[in-house]
Amino acid sequence: MEILAVENLSFTYPNCGAPALRDVSFTLEKGEFAVLCGATGSGKSTLLRMLKRELTPLGERSGRILFCGRELSELADRDSAAKIGFVMQQPEQQIVTDKVWHELAFGLENLGVPQSEIARRTAEMASYFGIGEWYDRDVAELSGGQKQLLNLAAVLVMQPDILILDEPTAQLDPIAASDFIAALKRLNQDMSLTMIMAEHRLEEVVPICDRLMVMEKGSLLANGAPERVITQLSGRDKLLSGMPAAARLYTELGESGDCPLTVREGRRYIEENYSCEVRRLPAEDYAVPDAPALTLSDVWFRYDRYSRDVIKGLDLEVGAGEIFCILGGNGSGKTTTLNAAAGLLKPYKGSVRVFGKKLKEYRNRSLYRECLALLPQDVQTTFLHNSVREELDECGADVKTLPYDISHLLEKHPYDLSGGEQQLVALAKVLASKPKLLLLDEPTKGLDANAKAEMTAILRRLKADGVTTVIVTHDVEFAADCSDRCAMFFGGQVVSVGAPREFFSCSSFYTTAVSRMTRGFYEGAVTVAQAAELCRRNGKKEAPPCL
Amino acid sequence: MRRFSEFDPVAVTVWFFSVTGVAMFCGHPLLMAISLAGAVLFFVVRNGTKHVRSHIFFFLLFAVLALANPLISHNGATVLFVINDRPVTLEALLYGVNSAAMIVGVLYWFRSLTQIMTSEKVLCVAGTLSPKLALVLSMALRSVPMFARRAKQVSDSQKAMGLYSEDNIIDDIRGHMRVFSIISTWALENGIITADSMAARGYGTGRRTQLRRFRFTAVDAVLVLVTLALLAVTAAAIAADSLAFTFYPRIDITVNGALGICGAAAYGALVLLPIFIETEVSLRWRYLQSKI
Repeated sequence: MEILAVENLSFTYPNCGAPALRDVSFTLEKGEFAVLCGATGSGKSTLLRMLKRELTPLGERSGRILFCGRELSELADRDSAAKIGFVMQQPEQQIVTDKVWHELAFGLENLGVPQSEIARRTAEMASYFGIGEWYDRDVAELSGGQKQLLNLAAVLVMQPDILILDEPTAQLDPIAASDFIAALKRLNQDMSLTMIMAEHRLEEVVPICDRLMVMEKGSLLANGAPERVITQLSGRDKLLSGMPAAARLYTELGESGDCPLTVREGRRYIEENYSCEVRRLPAEDYAVPDAPALTLSDVWFRYDRYSRDVIKGLDLEVGAGEIFCILGGNGSGKTTTLNAAAGLLKPYKGSVRVFGKKLKEYRNRSLYRECLALLPQDVQTTFLHNSVREELDECGADVKTLPYDISHLLEKHPYDLSGGEQQLVALAKVLASKPKLLLLDEPTKGLDANAKAEMTAILRRLKADGVTTVIVTHDVEFAADCSDRCAMFFGGQVVSVGAPREFFSCSSFYTTAVSRMTRGFYEGAVTVAQAAELCRRNGKKEAPPCL
Repeated sequence: MRRFSEFDPVAVTVWFFSVTGVAMFCGHPLLMAISLAGAVLFFVVRNGTKHVRSHIFFFLLFAVLALANPLISHNGATVLFVINDRPVTLEALLYGVNSAAMIVGVLYWFRSLTQIMTSEKVLCVAGTLSPKLALVLSMALRSVPMFARRAKQVSDSQKAMGLYSEDNIIDDIRGHMRVFSIISTWALENGIITADSMAARGYGTGRRTQLRRFRFTAVDAVLVLVTLALLAVTAAAIAADSLAFTFYPRIDITVNGALGICGAAAYGALVLLPIFIETEVSLRWRYLQSKI
């Protein structure tokens, strides 16, 4: 049964020449899980907001939206609020009240549901999501992932017929994002809940969705089963770059037809179609530079006299000119280490040296001038003014000397930029102090695949200029792509260090999808490009074996 | 079997305001003595020997308040001694002691009140008056610490980017001004998203209900009724001038007839009510525990 039908929908924002949506038509069946992808600014959010009456932007619109066969505008207020659930991007700002239980009850209170019914439904929802343990807590105490799960639960207590999600995982780290996506999958399968979700973290959602919709410049470019849609896109690298590794490998090798989506399918595809005579690519030797840029020796840190140690006897040396990635789970002390290296936190034991000089010896904040700079996780915290131009003027940054181009953003308000653009502007501010050591905390959070690729290219250019970069990230694929060396953090210590190819082929879980796909068949392939190169060198088998 | 602090917030609030209301609006020395003694006793029963500092602070405050009055006010018939040609009278001293007992007693009560009434209970009481008021309070409780955290984050990022150039106060103040201004923008920006999120979940579509996590049971009703009954007796005694007093020119404290005695006794019972409940509960609990 059709639950949602969009017919010839077009939309133009006021004072905007080009329409944001052009003639979009599609239908959604009950129980379907649709994923909407496309570059930033392609109209995904606008489309989703058109589907939720309370959030529909002002502007000129034509076409029809039918919800369960009725025009959306004809729904009663309370039905419209309850039946169509909407989860937004920002975990923190969506939350209204101060307690977890109150947030869960908020929607039902608005609808005037009787107390006993509210109590029952919130309790039910809390146990389904395992929120029971933090039911009584302040929302401020929750992690980003928990907050987003709470937002999801707070919408679901209203028992919606359709759930709309606008990039819900963009602000989450990859582990929290996986948990969130797993929750969605479970909802879809247990409750047969209809969902439509805009997303750029496609690696995990594409294999579980029923339908992939691709948008470009406000129109629907493709709409269908993900296996088909991806092969239709072959040649459009920008759109493909966010797809699952198996699918990218498949299109990279120039295949057509239904593409593999999961690691398992990708592995089978490689094993059935390619031999493994050339097992590995020639090794590129990497020598660690002699001169150290950052040295931490026997560093111990805790936030409070009576709390536990967050960093425990850490020894770490980063050579000058390296791109060094620190990986590890939540709470393993990565960000703390970065803040300690930047002098924002003081270890109670051990020493931190930057270019051989102890932090204490950098007097009068000279550390932060032409020496070291830290870009925090939430780049919005670096902005203080109403336009990008003022931001850059404040710290004396010159657009022309930057290794990338942001001149088209100068007149905009920093808060109006997309995640990727904000990252670039913040980086420009940081680079103004001409740091020789750059510390980045989760630079790929909230970025789509293209923005990530751009970030990698920028880091390489900075490296060529002699800048040392230390990156804390959860993003394994990004680390494999951009780093010279990686380190794995666990329990406040470094447990292993190595160049990405050895580093990722040794670990079996904390590694890239390609590495998992080729393990035991090829050696040391961690990126799609490397795997594709190996496949090409081996050549395609003439006839697939008959099984 | 509930401790006093676990009673329904509305019942607790009614009791608190009955006790403090009498203490604040009737200055009868007997009632003040009962109030102060009861307040200290209640605080000690709940906290044991902790919070020694609070006790010291309250004691000093008591002394200052009690001694300040005779230095300022020179009314009264009994002159104790003369300083700078001004008489210091017994009446003024006792008046000071009486007001100090009132103020310190009420402060002790409020100290206990803030311990018992967590933000959640305050919201519950506010929600009984108006669900919208409760929502506004709840949002405020969340946003203030949120802005404080955000300000710290912004300030830290600015520091690590080298934007506070020198180690001096003026530069720091300028930095804090900038942070404050952007935090205001951020708050507005946040407000838009929160408003969207509220609209999306049906805020403003009609009458709101409120989820109460505390159940108003028969026991709570009994507490409220007993409280109001005792309060009524005391109030009647005060209104009928059965509990009257004057300090100037001569001290005259009267407890007139049966109504006066009943009024004072009722206030005593009112003050001791929670201590009675607490004792009963702990005795019963000890008995139950012995059977485990």
